[in-house]
Amino acid sequence: MALTQVSSNKCSDGYQKVFEHDSSELKCKMKFAIYLPPKAESSKCPVFYWLSGLTCTEQNFITKAGSQQAASEHGIIIVAPDTSPRGCNIEGEEESWDFGTGAGFYVNATQEPWKTNYRMYSYVTEELPRLINSNFPADPEKMSISGHSMGGHGALICALKNPGKYKAVSAFAPICNPIQCAWGQKAFSGYLGSDKSTWELYDATVLAESYSGPELDILIDQGRDDQFLSSSQLLPDNLIAACSKKKIPVVFRLQQGYDHSYFFIFSFINDHIKHHAKYLNA
Amino acid sequence: MEAYDARSLCVIAEELSEEDEADDEEAFVMVQDSHTHTPDAFCSHCRVLTHSGAAAHTRHTLLALGPAAQQIKEELSHSRGKLSQKIVEMENFASNLEEIFITVEENFGRQEQNLEQHYNEVLQTLSQSHETRAAALGEQKSRALERLYGELLCCGQTLDASKQLIERAQGVHRQRDQRAFLQAVMSIMKRVEQFSSKEVDLKLGMSLDFDVPTTDLSDVRQMMDSINVLPAPSAPVMNPQICNSATDTSLHVCWSLFSDDTVEFYELYWRLISDDCTMEPLQDVSQLKVKETHCTVSDLLPNAQYELWVTATNTTGISPASERAVYMTVPSPPVIRPRQCVSSLDAALIRWDSGNTNPVESYTLEFRESDTDRSNTATESVVAIPSCECLVQLQPWKHYIISVRAVNTGGPSDLSEPVDISTAGTCFHLLEDTAHPSLSLSADGLTMFYLDEDLPLSHMTFSDSTFARCVAVLGDLVPIRGQYYWEIEVDEDTEYRVGVAYEDTQRNSYLGGNKTSWCMRHIVTPSRHKYEFLHNGWTPDVRITVQPRLIGVFLDYGGGILSFWNAALRQHLHTFSCRFLHRVQPCFALDNPGALRLHTGLPAPPMI
Repeated sequence: MALTQVSSNKCSDGYQKVFEHDSSELKCKMKFAIYLPPKAESSKCPVFYWLSGLTCTEQNFITKAGSQQAASEHGIIIVAPDTSPRGCNIEGEEESWDFGTGAGFYVNATQEPWKTNYRMYSYVTEELPRLINSNFPADPEKMSISGHSMGGHGALICALKNPGKYKAVSAFAPICNPIQCAWGQKAFSGYLGSDKSTWELYDATVLAESYSGPELDILIDQGRDDQFLSSSQLLPDNLIAACSKKKIPVVFRLQQGYDHSYFFIFSFINDHIKHHAKYLNA
Repeated sequence: MEAYDARSLCVIAEELSEEDEADDEEAFVMVQDSHTHTPDAFCSHCRVLTHSGAAAHTRHTLLALGPAAQQIKEELSHSRGKLSQKIVEMENFASNLEEIFITVEENFGRQEQNLEQHYNEVLQTLSQSHETRAAALGEQKSRALERLYGELLCCGQTLDASKQLIERAQGVHRQRDQRAFLQAVMSIMKRVEQFSSKEVDLKLGMSLDFDVPTTDLSDVRQMMDSINVLPAPSAPVMNPQICNSATDTSLHVCWSLFSDDTVEFYELYWRLISDDCTMEPLQDVSQLKVKETHCTVSDLLPNAQYELWVTATNTTGISPASERAVYMTVPSPPVIRPRQCVSSLDAALIRWDSGNTNPVESYTLEFRESDTDRSNTATESVVAIPSCECLVQLQPWKHYIISVRAVNTGGPSDLSEPVDISTAGTCFHLLEDTAHPSLSLSADGLTMFYLDEDLPLSHMTFSDSTFARCVAVLGDLVPIRGQYYWEIEVDEDTEYRVGVAYEDTQRNSYLGGNKTSWCMRHIVTPSRHKYEFLHNGWTPDVRITVQPRLIGVFLDYGGGILSFWNAALRQHLHTFSCRFLHRVQPCFALDNPGALRLHTGLPAPPMI
């Protein structure tokens, strides 16, 4: 598991770096971004995993979200992986923006031709943390997860499927109930097949209804002027209803005037990092 | 004297060491004996080492060496103890003697001085009268001589004139020429006749007796007498009141006499000075006979002024009264109002009642950490507090015991009953005078009730500080810009507003509906529980999936933060970022009948 440094830039007293490695899970070369706060030079730091949305690479978050300043202050490592395997030469991989490359949906595909490479769930929950913990001054006991849109969905399912693994979870405009929306149905039928019961294993709303484990404290921000909210791709109300029923603590903030962009993320990333820091640095 | 003490001690120490040596020698002898027979017992009668079967000690009590050594050691230490006690007694006696020596020496010295002074005065007076008399005598002498000389002169002149006349008469008598004789003789004869008919005064013109003036030595006699007779004392001088000498019911009064005076006893008089003396007749005068030049007067009123004066008496008479001095009893201790005391992490506001009907000068607040080991905790004080409250800076995470004294010119009162203050969290109470008439408070002042039965508006009484529309009440935080945390316990269906508001927030508008208040509001709708975070009538759109039953409110002036938490879950709900320009107070309101229970004194959870 050799790491190749692609770039390194000093940022907010720490370093924003990009590495490339051969992923055993995804059978391809993968890049991930890692922000190392100044505190990482002297001690182990907790790790905040960021899952990006459709079409994104590891670059979007680190160049647009403005997370480094808060991460530097709170002494948190931020790891932002790519959103899908790349260059696997699977037929149809590049055909649409919401399926295939840049749209891994953080599931382990069970269907051909995707099942060999499209194992993003295992990649972000197993392989990547192992890699980070063994190559960087990361505290393996302290990890948390967040993401945007498809990545918000990814963050929620990773937390709900692995009780206790993540100390904190939050999301920006997450796809809350993918089995009920167009994006989710397209992706899940492609990666998981037609048996909808297998879809439920990757649906945050369904998972919330059966969650049992340590208390979660979920922070969700949603722009009110998000076109995907009005086109019913995100369906936060379903998740809120499920969490209300199961008494899973969620603070859901509908932010007036904000859309689905990284401008929206930039506006509230500090609140999220503070939310994560509360549990990571406890 | 001290040198003598030291020497005597040395002597004793030497004696002791000599004894030790003697013991050692004896022991040495014993050891030498033991070459032949090792002694294994001790005869308590003869006090020597011996053998258990020795014939010489058959009727004596023999002890084993261990217990015997122990016993003798105890006896020794007992005697040493006694001896050292005696040394202490002797030392005390010696120092007593020393004091007496000094006093006697001083007294005799004073006597000698007095005697010398008196005799000097007498000698001076005598020599003065001697001078006066010698001068008078000299004057008398020169006057008498002068006069005698004058008479002598006069006498000589008359003699000369008579001789001349006789010579002329003889000359005329020898005249041969009869005619010429007769011509001249008539006038001479006339003059001789005239002369001889004049009676010559041959008596001394002055008395030759000595004029002996009567010598007045009465003053000298008086002075001589006064060497042994006491004069009546002069008026004593009242000393001003000494700090910390008074209590709330007694005064310790001191005065001084002139060092020459001898006084048998004093009489002390005192009288209460009434504040409105123009209204009331003068208070009764009390009186006490005292031997010393100080006296403690008791059974007085607290925080009151008394005028005192004193006379001195000896066998000769009574002195005039001293000037009147004004002394003051100290106040009664104040009474702390524990319910009105509020605290935070780094300060406490302590309030109390004066405990005195008259105003006192100031108050002193004393505080110390309440520690199991009392000796390690220093007491700190805040002095010159003009009113019945004091804001005191404290260290966080400590327990303090705080008391108050009232102070006047007479000194400080006893300590008030203490109040325990913990700086682990925010402690405050609700300001009842701000409560809407429909809002009632529990006896402990921490639960608010909005009862179902609505009072008719005519039965409600509103003051300027009462909330008139919102059924609300304010709390009373320590007035410093610090950090505060408190919790509110709510029921599921209670509709409430909790948060903070400026002290002068509008009493006729709803909390959160204006720029002077910030609050979290809970509304029950048929479909869900709605939460608002209201300021100036605006709220962000926030959904909360788990209803908080215990709401944590965190206020940080410095950070400009007011945040709300689900305290049971430690879940952050909302944060207002705002610069509080004035002092804010916790506020609580019920929008429908129900209850809120306040929890104070809690530390802020670590994640905040």
